Amino acid sequence: MNPNLLAVPIALPLFTAALLLAVSRWGGRQLIDLQRGLTAIALLVNLGVALALANYTLSGHRLVLQMGGWQAPFGITLVADGLTSILLTMAAIIFLAVLPFAIGTIDFHRERMGYYPLTLFLLMGINGAFLAGDLFNLYVFFEVMLMASFVLLTVGGQPAQTHSGIRYVVLNLIASLVFLAAAGIAYGTLGTLNMAHMAERLQTAAPAVKTLLAGLLFVSFGSKAGLFPLFFWLPSSYHTPPPAVMALFGGLLTKVGVYTLFRSFTLFFPDLLVAWQPLILGVAGATMLIGVLGAMSQPTVRRVLSFHIISQVGYMIMGLGVAVDGQNLAMGFGLAAAILYMIHHIIVKSTLILAGGAIQIEMGSDELARIGGLVSKRPLLAILFFLAAIALAGIPPFSGFVSKLSLLQITMDSGHWLVAGISVVVSLLTLNSMTALWRETFWGEYEHPGRLTPWLLDAPLRRWLVLGPIAGLLVLSLGLGLFGERFFQMTNTAAQQALDQAGYIAAVRPVEPESVAGPADYPAESPTDKGGHDE
Amino acid sequence: MTQLILALTVGILFACGAYLVMRRGKIKLILGLGLFSHGVNLLLFGSGEMILGKPAIFNDKANFLGELATRSFADPLPQALILTAIVISFGITAFMIVLLNRRDTLLGSEIMENELAPGYDWLVYTDDDLEEQRQKQAESKGNGSSKISGGEPL
Amino acid sequence: MPELYLRMLDRILTPVLLILTFFLLLRGHNLPGGGFIAGLMAAAAFQLQILSRGEEVVRKQVGQYIQPGIGIGLLVAVGAGIAGVLGSTGFFKGIWFDISLGPLGYLEIGTPVIFDFGVFAVVVSVVTSYLLGLNRVAEGVDA
Repeated sequence: MNPNLLAVPIALPLFTAALLLAVSRWGGRQLIDLQRGLTAIALLVNLGVALALANYTLSGHRLVLQMGGWQAPFGITLVADGLTSILLTMAAIIFLAVLPFAIGTIDFHRERMGYYPLTLFLLMGINGAFLAGDLFNLYVFFEVMLMASFVLLTVGGQPAQTHSGIRYVVLNLIASLVFLAAAGIAYGTLGTLNMAHMAERLQTAAPAVKTLLAGLLFVSFGSKAGLFPLFFWLPSSYHTPPPAVMALFGGLLTKVGVYTLFRSFTLFFPDLLVAWQPLILGVAGATMLIGVLGAMSQPTVRRVLSFHIISQVGYMIMGLGVAVDGQNLAMGFGLAAAILYMIHHIIVKSTLILAGGAIQIEMGSDELARIGGLVSKRPLLAILFFLAAIALAGIPPFSGFVSKLSLLQITMDSGHWLVAGISVVVSLLTLNSMTALWRETFWGEYEHPGRLTPWLLDAPLRRWLVLGPIAGLLVLSLGLGLFGERFFQMTNTAAQQALDQAGYIAAVRPVEPESVAGPADYPAESPTDKGGHDE
Repeated sequence: MTQLILALTVGILFACGAYLVMRRGKIKLILGLGLFSHGVNLLLFGSGEMILGKPAIFNDKANFLGELATRSFADPLPQALILTAIVISFGITAFMIVLLNRRDTLLGSEIMENELAPGYDWLVYTDDDLEEQRQKQAESKGNGSSKISGGEPL
Repeated sequence: MPELYLRMLDRILTPVLLILTFFLLLRGHNLPGGGFIAGLMAAAAFQLQILSRGEEVVRKQVGQYIQPGIGIGLLVAVGAGIAGVLGSTGFFKGIWFDISLGPLGYLEIGTPVIFDFGVFAVVVSVVTSYLLGLNRVAEGVDA
């Protein structure tokens, strides 16, 4: 397979976004149609490429692109393995599903302010973070993603948005700086930033270096993923932007943090997965519990959903904690279950946020105390929301059941009864919270607060733009639940690949600087003069 | 010795940055974040090998390994990293300042009263609605403009 | 808030700044300078305009070009990288031409210079939009 394909998920959104911005001065309403059309084409191509990559890598291969032909530790390396391409595919699916919803609900002002180019920049950052093969490019793509998300979060300039935007920006900036400090320390102590090269050199590095790097990376990625002590930026900001934006954030941004945790711990510190297991499992349990308890005390639909994001991230980290553990089950079962959980969560959380957004649009508010009885007016929305809610809570036949069951299985198999018990309790509390949400919204006396706009879901075209993506994502979740075994085999391949440190290093093949044959082979230009100037 | 001074400076910058970020007030927040990112930039600078007074390019392509052995060119990687990091933190800091000022003009204070009151603006999807909402906002601003100060000058 | 002295001064200073910008942009490949620095310098020229003529005037003049500026700049920069692929030297490899200017000597122009032009367009657009936003608040237009 041509490795140049790896550049497509980064270059295509960048190019499309640049094109959309470049023509943004000419044309009015027609321009918006053009933007929608081009975005749809770009997202479809992106999905096609992601599926092709998944098809290739899930048969046990890795794909490596050394940009510009520079050998590994000198140039920019992009690497795709099973985990990467699964997440690339999920990102492509979510962006594609949110597009119709955005066309139906985003206001003209936001569209003119560049909603579509910004989402494409966000996609570029997310894809780049999944593909990056060295620590510094990971940082750059993180920042691309964060800049796009800052603007998406605050465009429109409502007081609540700017207010929560500040917390989001400050805390994410600090997390990024911690990450950058980790990159600096890695370069100072290991002399390299290429991930494969780092993994190679960390095997013989001093324990202090390992501990320092692992700690810094854990804090910074954990903050981005929304882990226990550092999650508070998330629920204070995610409920303010439009639901189409929040679905992208809630579905994907925290997962980038989770992905980097998975990648760094399996590749750099596989031994710390055992040594730090109490820490990881403790953080996971606290994250789950605090998230769900927070969700139960929140007064609006979308605040409840943003707290549930945190609680669900805890499950994934629990999977990371038992990644190499287990007595009767195979090695890597925990990681495979966690990746399956990630897929499930990305789908179902986006579905729920879209459905919650539809409620808010329909009622003019999502304050639980002020709304109720929507089931009589919008039975289809009520059914879809109910199905998504039980999928999140883990009721068969939806995807939540298989993923939670496999996680629980490995946790009990490795003998961590306490955290397994917490996860069961959290599941029950989630079910309770979701049914309460459904009851408050759809059941009871029909009441809705006064509002400006006409019924959104009365127009047939708009109704399908809004409900279509929700239904489509639910079908995906159902498929994931019904064909759980096949998907588990896929994630198992991905987990085995992620845990195969030597295979990753061999695929990237970093050369030692001393072994560079000499002046004739050595590149004529400095390899560093082309990175990251455009952001 | 240089290493020690560098390490101490990085430490002091981090400490001051952390202290300022945790204080109340937007100027302190911006300055604190600035100090933080300078600390990180210095840390990146210290991560390379220190070679005094040499450019980050080598003169003689044919004698690359010889120049590497005699340390006659500086390590270009930390410089490239710092350049990129400066650009990024510059962008984010500028964005932050715009955001902070915007918040202060919108709210007239650094504290948001009744934070739970949802903003419905994204529910608006036709130009007529937008116009209607603008008028409403203009009315409400006309009533409450005495509360809004021009914002603390930077 | 237009300022009288500044308005007199900026007639002289703005062209000087813009010429300096162009100079920095072109010398950037081998000497200190380049797209980023030149972009900041050009944005400084816009800030001078904002200070002397007021935010609204400048926004009316250049505000509509900000989004296209970012887009075109990115396209030019990426295009310069892709030109390397088309010229079969590899992604982001430079291709150079020497154009003779007669008695003035040679103008060395290549894809890295074009890349710098793209970076310049992006930086000047982004920074100008920040400056417009900041000055808008400072002048109390928003309030």
